[in-house]
Amino acid sequence: MSKANGGPLAWNGSDRILAEKKSNGILNDPASLDGTRDESRRTRKLVLSGMIFALALVLSIVENAFPPLPMPVPGVKFGLSNIAVMYALFFLSKGQAYSIAVLKSLFVFMTRGLIAGILSLSGGILSLTVMLLVMVLFRDKASYTAISISGAIAHNTGQFIAVSFIYTGMYLWAYLPVLLVSGVIAGIVTAVLLRFIIPAFERLRL
Amino acid sequence: MKLFKKTDILIIALIIAAAAAIWYYYSNAVSGRPVKAEIYYYSDLVGTVELVPGTERTISVPQEEDVVLKIDTDGSIRFIQSDCPDKICIRTGRLRLAGQSAACLPNGVIVKIVPADGWKESDPDIVIGSRGGQ
Repeated sequence: MSKANGGPLAWNGSDRILAEKKSNGILNDPASLDGTRDESRRTRKLVLSGMIFALALVLSIVENAFPPLPMPVPGVKFGLSNIAVMYALFFLSKGQAYSIAVLKSLFVFMTRGLIAGILSLSGGILSLTVMLLVMVLFRDKASYTAISISGAIAHNTGQFIAVSFIYTGMYLWAYLPVLLVSGVIAGIVTAVLLRFIIPAFERLRL
Repeated sequence: MKLFKKTDILIIALIIAAAAAIWYYYSNAVSGRPVKAEIYYYSDLVGTVELVPGTERTISVPQEEDVVLKIDTDGSIRFIQSDCPDKICIRTGRLRLAGQSAACLPNGVIVKIVPADGWKESDPDIVIGSRGGQ
């Protein structure tokens, strides 16, 4: 996770990809290393973000195809599309992870309305920020599962806070246990799925 | 970075234990208190119902006739009908403890259970946003 430190953040993801490609000997086209290099990086980054965003949408469609979980709190679900955001956070850059989270919320806003969009945005941003904090604080000591759980709990909590602000005050004590336990379950599920989906993401790397 | 580490079990156990402790603390603090249900349409309090065991009845807010709430004989309240797509409000089920709430967000109907005599200074005090009608 060294990419989290130093360097202009905006370039980290593609720098890393480029460096990996070079070291793997995959990138042997000299054209992409000369004057058009910046252009090529930008394009790569854009395409990769777009494809991961598309995957996020597919994952949320898959999730919605299943019957809803019998959960007593609005907004509690596995959040499979967070897998795509987590992948971007772990292997690309913060910037890309945030842009995918924001795009995801925009998509929710367009398809399911303003309230759902705000919930998605608040949950997504808080979740990403907490995962980032855990990654910066614990470096490699934190496992995917631990990061995923902290992200899921933050996601639930962010949505709950948004609901409380949009509507009228809600009593957190009654729901904190539910948010914590469902966050643990969702976090484990997304971490395990991420592990299996990583190879598919790797194939996206053009 | 690993998928899973042994310390994760400890972390998970701590979170579950914290959840259980909070639930225990909360339910001890509120169980047995007489409660009333406050019904909100978006952020406006549109009605209050005393939740006492006895008569069974249904109510709905004038702004959303399609959303129907039912008060059962055991003094609990729940959403029984709504025209929203996801029916989260109905799946929330029965409410009877102070602090619980159910919401039909697409229709803007929210039910909150509060102590009949209002919250007291000594109650566990985490309410996000305003306390609405209080």
